[in-house]
Amino acid sequence: MSRLPLLSTLVLSLSLSHSAAAGSVQAAPHTPSVSDVRSMLASMPRGDVKRGKQLNQSLMCASCHGDDGLAPTQNWASLAGQRAAYTYKSLLDYQRGGRHENPRATLMTVAVKGMSRQDMAHLAAYYASLPAKAAPAPRLDKIAHARADHLARRGDPARLLTPCASCHGAAGQGGVNETPTLAGQSVGSFVRTLQDYRDGKRVTDANQGMRQFAERLTMGEIRELAAYYARMGKN
Amino acid sequence: MLNRRDFLKAGAGLALAAALPARAANKSAHVVVIGGGVGGATAAKYLKLYDPELRVTVIEVNRSYIRPYGSSEVLTGHASIDELVVSYDALKSKYGVEFVFDTVVGFDPAKKQVRTAGRQSIAYDKLVVSPGISLQYQAIPGYSAAVAEVRVPSGWIPGTQTALLTKQLRAMRPGGSFVIVAPPNPYRCPPGPYERAALVTEWMRRHNPTGKVLILDPKDSFVTDATMQLGWHRLYGYNIPDSYLSDMPAGVKNSGKPSPIEWVRAMDGGATEKIDARTLTVMTKQGAVKADVLNIIPPMKAGKLAFDMGLTDASGWCPVDHRSFESSVHPEVFVIGDASIADAMPKSGFSANNQAKVTARAIVDQLAGRVPGEPVWSNTCYALAGSDYGLFVADVFRLKDGKIARVPGERYLPIDAAPAKIRLAAAYQQAWLKTFTEDCFA
Amino acid sequence: MGTLMKASLFVLAVLAAASTHAAEPTGEAMAATCAACHGTHGKLGIVEYMPLAGLSEKEFVRAMQDFRSGKRLSTLMGHVANGFSDNEILAMAKYFANVK
Repeated sequence: MSRLPLLSTLVLSLSLSHSAAAGSVQAAPHTPSVSDVRSMLASMPRGDVKRGKQLNQSLMCASCHGDDGLAPTQNWASLAGQRAAYTYKSLLDYQRGGRHENPRATLMTVAVKGMSRQDMAHLAAYYASLPAKAAPAPRLDKIAHARADHLARRGDPARLLTPCASCHGAAGQGGVNETPTLAGQSVGSFVRTLQDYRDGKRVTDANQGMRQFAERLTMGEIRELAAYYARMGKN
Repeated sequence: MLNRRDFLKAGAGLALAAALPARAANKSAHVVVIGGGVGGATAAKYLKLYDPELRVTVIEVNRSYIRPYGSSEVLTGHASIDELVVSYDALKSKYGVEFVFDTVVGFDPAKKQVRTAGRQSIAYDKLVVSPGISLQYQAIPGYSAAVAEVRVPSGWIPGTQTALLTKQLRAMRPGGSFVIVAPPNPYRCPPGPYERAALVTEWMRRHNPTGKVLILDPKDSFVTDATMQLGWHRLYGYNIPDSYLSDMPAGVKNSGKPSPIEWVRAMDGGATEKIDARTLTVMTKQGAVKADVLNIIPPMKAGKLAFDMGLTDASGWCPVDHRSFESSVHPEVFVIGDASIADAMPKSGFSANNQAKVTARAIVDQLAGRVPGEPVWSNTCYALAGSDYGLFVADVFRLKDGKIARVPGERYLPIDAAPAKIRLAAAYQQAWLKTFTEDCFA
Repeated sequence: MGTLMKASLFVLAVLAAASTHAAEPTGEAMAATCAACHGTHGKLGIVEYMPLAGLSEKEFVRAMQDFRSGKRLSTLMGHVANGFSDNEILAMAKYFANVK
């Protein structure tokens, strides 16, 4: 006879609560409007690259993201050459409990505990100062490359897909509408990010704009775009 | 109750039509695993991974497992008891491990058979025994298993006592004393009692701010003691004893003010002489300590089954070959996990998991007539001084001069570790509870 | 002494030296110790730890060497990596690289 029923009874008779001390943040996700994002960034402090380099070590960021912002594996995003505004917003989103698409987001939420907005700005400035390198990616044959390039630069009106480049730039450098740099991002990171947008697990982008793109692209296209942008980093 | 001689006899002269023969028609060997805890489950799974043709049968009394690692988090409400429950379904469906939910009441090492209470006789080619620990309640005058169930819970093997202890903690009067009696060496999970004390202290700061946690210890030290005490100091204002102060980073100074957590070592009279369960009083060399909630982690020995099967020696633990963990008493029987004498390896879930793999590999090699390869084990355990304060011990073990020895080097969280590393360690501790359970049971 | 002779003697010397080293566990046996955190065969879902399955040899070796030397920050991986020689790290790397 299983011991479970007795235990369950005891559990019911106790008012155990999952207290906030647990370390898992249960805040509701906050999807900002475009003006929310603008005002968030308007109050971004000025960052110091040297200080950011120190923090990259002392706050253990380098352990996963690399000394020079190049993640040692595809499991975590590369940050070298990433736009400071985007990095800053991401760190703030983690701290405000807006990012919990998976346990790695939980880890980031822990990592940013106790980080001041000034620290975030320093780190953002440091990564922005680092050169993005082309990430290892499968070679795209001529046709696949053309497909990815077409999507990136012309989009697909039939699916109401505007070109990626209209926000992320012709060279994947990001910037318009505070979008991130895509050039040199690892294939793994790129694919996972689009999957998280598509599945509605990541919702901190303005008006959840990315979801429509991610939903309308096929997995094959996502992988091709990933390889396309990975190779855009300079070498 | 069967004594050991009866136990062995019960195995002998077993019924002719054995329910589970050693060799099926396809001649694949049958490995029986007694015990479905961390050691047994990992052994069963990895036996099947290393040789899918093997028949593997686990004999286990409970239909699901309640994991002890991380169980102190139930006391503070960070986890529910249901979260501790682990199913055997994956072992069955994914790896084809067979289960017999029963107790072993007979053992015939000559015939290589075990007998269950349900009258099944099960023949084996190789036998793995992973019986865990038995809590020696009676070693403390005034304490017993019966007292632990209703009044002075231990909760070192999780279950109803864990629930009782949780209930008692919630009901403790404001300003009350939560007293933990720590065990003597060797015991399961070296940092465990101190992690429990830490988490209870953290909980009390919010729910019973004038309450106190007192650890009464028959020992003067424990694995991770320096880093754990530093954590207590930073989080709860704990006063670090003089003998540890020189280990601490520069600038660490005791406030001298009373702290909600105290550790009374043996050298300061912390050893327990006896208890009075009715009044929740612990008699130590220094005098009587009155508790509002009393949690005793008693001395331990190998699980009772190890004694019944004649696998233990005078120490109360099981001597084994250092390479394969084959019993020094009964050949073809392998004892792994807490019950085994594993030299430098601590008694921990991690050790049990690693021992299970080395032993599974050795068994598969033996059955195939191969010489088993060189073994290697590790034990990397995170522990908490607070929900956001992680520390650890990390060792790799090799055979050295015929004994299992640590590879020399740093083992602990650096005493001057940055706050970010400490926070990360706490997050990794939580992750480990999931990934470890998967490696053992799924 | 001719070059070929010298070369042969050199090879023999190396082999002789190798055989007096302490026996090394296989890459698979060492990888099994990693599984308790990094998943059976190094396979993990999306969790806080690094999956190791399919990791390139180069990345694995680099990571372990950098952990061991302290160049790469870690909580306890530095201590763990310290328990393995370069040869052993390479053996583990080969094992994980080949996990499908």
